[in-house]
Amino acid sequence: MKVDEKTMRNLDFSRRQLESISKKGIAFIVAMLLIISVGVYALYVQITQGHGVTGMRDNVVWGLYIVNFIFFIGISYAGALISGILHLLRVPWRSPIIRMAEMITVISTMIGPTYILLCIGRLDRLPNLLLHGRIQSPIIWDVIAITTYLSGSILFLYLAMIRDAALLRDNPVTRAKWRNPIYRFISARYQDTTKQKELLNMVTDLLSIVIIPLAILVHSVLAWIFGMTLRPGWHSTIFAPYFVVAAVYSGTGVLIVVMWVFRKIYHLESYITKIHFNYLALIMIVLGALYGYFTFSEYLTSWYGSIKWDMEVLFRLFSPKEYYGAFIFAVFIGVLLPIIIVTVPRLRNINTIAFAALIAVLALWVKRYLIIIPTLESPLLPVHDLRPEYAHYSPTWVEWALTVAGVALFLLLFYLFSKFIPIMPVVRTGEEKDYSRLRKLVFEKQMKKIIQVRKKSDSIAIAIILVVTGLVATGAKAQDETGTKTSLRLEYLNTDATRVLTAKLSAKKEGKFVPLEGMKIKFYYVSGKEKKLIGTEETGAKGKCLVEIPADIFASEGNKGAYNFEAAFAASRNLMNASSSVGVRNVNMELKFSKKDTVKFVNCKLWERGKDGTPVPVSDLKVQFYVPRTFSLLKVGEATLAEGEATIDFPVTLPGDSIGDLTVIAKIEDNETYGNVQASGTINWGKPLPPEVPVRRGLGDTNAPLWMVYTLIVLLSLVWFHYMYVVFTVFRIRYLGRKNAKPESVS
Amino acid sequence: MKDKSASRRKFLKLGVAAGAGALIVGGSKMLSAFSETESRETGEKIKVLTQDGKLVEVDKGHTCCEPVSNQEARQGMPGKKMVMVIDLAKCRNARKCLEGCQSMHNLPAHMDWIKFYLMRDGQDTAPYWFPKPCLHCNNPPCVKVCPVGATFKRTDGIVLVDNERCIGCKFCMAACPYSSRVFNWEEPKLPNPTKERYSPETSAPPKIGTVSKCDFCPDMVRKGELPSCVTSCPNGVYWYGDKNQDSVTNGTETVRFSELIHDRAAYRFMEELGTEPSVYYLPPVDRAFDYKVGFEGLSEEETALYKKEARLTE
Repeated sequence: MKVDEKTMRNLDFSRRQLESISKKGIAFIVAMLLIISVGVYALYVQITQGHGVTGMRDNVVWGLYIVNFIFFIGISYAGALISGILHLLRVPWRSPIIRMAEMITVISTMIGPTYILLCIGRLDRLPNLLLHGRIQSPIIWDVIAITTYLSGSILFLYLAMIRDAALLRDNPVTRAKWRNPIYRFISARYQDTTKQKELLNMVTDLLSIVIIPLAILVHSVLAWIFGMTLRPGWHSTIFAPYFVVAAVYSGTGVLIVVMWVFRKIYHLESYITKIHFNYLALIMIVLGALYGYFTFSEYLTSWYGSIKWDMEVLFRLFSPKEYYGAFIFAVFIGVLLPIIIVTVPRLRNINTIAFAALIAVLALWVKRYLIIIPTLESPLLPVHDLRPEYAHYSPTWVEWALTVAGVALFLLLFYLFSKFIPIMPVVRTGEEKDYSRLRKLVFEKQMKKIIQVRKKSDSIAIAIILVVTGLVATGAKAQDETGTKTSLRLEYLNTDATRVLTAKLSAKKEGKFVPLEGMKIKFYYVSGKEKKLIGTEETGAKGKCLVEIPADIFASEGNKGAYNFEAAFAASRNLMNASSSVGVRNVNMELKFSKKDTVKFVNCKLWERGKDGTPVPVSDLKVQFYVPRTFSLLKVGEATLAEGEATIDFPVTLPGDSIGDLTVIAKIEDNETYGNVQASGTINWGKPLPPEVPVRRGLGDTNAPLWMVYTLIVLLSLVWFHYMYVVFTVFRIRYLGRKNAKPESVS
Repeated sequence: MKDKSASRRKFLKLGVAAGAGALIVGGSKMLSAFSETESRETGEKIKVLTQDGKLVEVDKGHTCCEPVSNQEARQGMPGKKMVMVIDLAKCRNARKCLEGCQSMHNLPAHMDWIKFYLMRDGQDTAPYWFPKPCLHCNNPPCVKVCPVGATFKRTDGIVLVDNERCIGCKFCMAACPYSSRVFNWEEPKLPNPTKERYSPETSAPPKIGTVSKCDFCPDMVRKGELPSCVTSCPNGVYWYGDKNQDSVTNGTETVRFSELIHDRAAYRFMEELGTEPSVYYLPPVDRAFDYKVGFEGLSEEETALYKKEARLTE
């Protein structure tokens, strides 16, 4: 690849950057690794002990991690928007800074999503996002958007690096030579032929067009995670553009800070000049003003409307005990200070601009905290919890360690990248002015102020003492009882043609009667002095069992028309004896349905068998009419028997099953003479249930609404089609390079 | 005999709810509900009474109910629409519902599926106690935002959480306007460490790193039994039932849902949010208790917190 003299100078400079490593650099790497290892330990603690080690609780379910997530995705805008727009507009001074911007994008887009992983309670179940992903969920939008964005950013960085890699391939580095094959690989056989140049420029333009709307969408989607909930301070239509503007603002700020730092480390004074700082600072304050405008609009609107819940969040923000200081810093100082520094010429120089940028970046981090935490601390219902950590969030050392580790990882990756990739493009595309003359005019002042950022001191993790309450075991076992008093309750039930005896056995335990399970109960028919065993049954889960009375018993005379029954529980182990008896007369009940015009009647007949076998009507008893429902019987009427008959009007509006069938039961309850008597019948008098109309595609269903699916498919295929086209073009460049390589090797 | 019949009458009053059906673990509907699930067939038959007084034979294995499969738990019970009505006029913050809920679900202490608020809507309005389970919205914000469908709305109106699918992102907690959901921040310390088979319908046992909440007890409904909050409330605050059957019961009485809602002018909490809850509240008029009774048994701190929330000064 043929290059001019200026580019060779640049190359020599970049190789020095790539090859030199100072003691300070090594110390820096070690320090960063130490900080990161503390973070890794914190992560280990969190994974092994659960999220209880964080300051997050049921009300504030998201904390520092989400703040950092938004922050890092925000600063990734530096590359996507700044470098994309500057590239498209062919801004002449962009060359030395766009590489840094693109590196910020790639690194922060890699670190950002790790924070959302830290919020996930069950990392082991992440595959569920693929197995059961629902595209109605903003989290899935986020997953899709960020992967797409990261892929695009890496591709963009790669395209911008091809020329430099080709130069490094032709002029290999002399230290850490293992890098040379990598440069050779990523150079894609680029020889700077006319065709290759044309192709590369074309795809770079194309990708910068694609990446700008994509970047906007990514941060909008991020804002929608909050905007889609019904929370005060979040549920706002302004949220997506607000997040986008805040993100570009912080992205520009980080870019300025990074420029300042690298300018110092690698002595880029002759390349990155005050002009760059001034121009970027102007962009930054325009964005800052826009961010201030959005902020003002947001808070003014909710304050003026003064909805109860919005006011609660505002009160928190303005309360000196809570977030007042942070709010002033994030909203006033974070906007006004950079604007003042940049717009007042006497205050403006490289160092103050870097300081203003740093303030902007910190203010935006605090602003994200103020977006997340106060809203979560103000749910619609008051937080009624005596545990302070449930009402107010304060991050624990684990969260701080992982936050600091993220920043350290960002710095470390940046440093390592700078040892691998020239931090300024070696081959400068576009026209470039010679700034060396201007540079002489620049007076640089050392920044003497040390910015101290007081961070909230780490709060101590408060261990929750869980008071384990004992469960009263139901169905206590016999062994547990010592000489326990038992109680047996016998009931007689005459239901349609069947006569049943039910018994319930319970034992007195700590003053309460507890049902006894698995006990044998003997049922007897008592006639005079004679006892006849009907059956032996075992009690079930509720201490109950039943036996059917053989029909032949009622064929006999009984005792003057009355029949006596007895149930007995024989003492077993430590349980005491129990018995119970019941005496009833045998009656017959019959249920009839009839209809006159629109009025529906239910008629109940009750009669005894007289001595000669003729039916004798039973009167003066109350009959209850019921319709069975899931848990219980719904009473639909009551009537007194007159001459053996009772009739009620049946309510016409009662729902039946799917075809309108319902069961009606007539009951005489707990009568001293007859026991429990009931009869039932089924009739098509109910309102049929309306057929269920299943909603198949809705926000709450498994399948998403079709418009959503189509939108996603169209958007994704548009973007990924361009990515594939870019990759395809890179392969073409590679192919073209192979053809050209032959004549050179011959000569 | 008189004593017995008196107690029997009492028993019957209680028993109307569980009716004849309580003994009675059978019931033809129930049988169909369980027919597809894994059951412990023993071959041994026992006789049970259905709710409408029919004597049927079922396998002994059926008396112990296995939780339904995950797939079935996602469908919902056909033809049902579960609703709850909470009578604010009767609540005195006794918290027996929560105790019952926690012991039935075997929940760790502090895992409150029902929360209690001392409400005071405006400056001069009267304070009243407000128990709040999950409201099982028909337009549930939590279900919309779940990325993996771990929380879902069923045809019977119940919103459940599958804590074997939940990834623990807590988005549903941020989305729920009613603060109904709780997170298992630590390994849940179960009061009764039994090895239950998990089903989204039983919601138990809860798992670390996942979300839990009131489940409207569909496992109990399948058995024809009432949720524990309903049966353990000493004041009959809770009414539960099937809207499709137009019937709710508080354990002692059974009334028509539509009549109760109409006669007592029921409302749904924060209707303006458009969440369409399945829980209805009866306004706290003609109250059975003074709100101050609700402070009994509370610590001083908690009383103070409630008073502060309700802006009460005395």
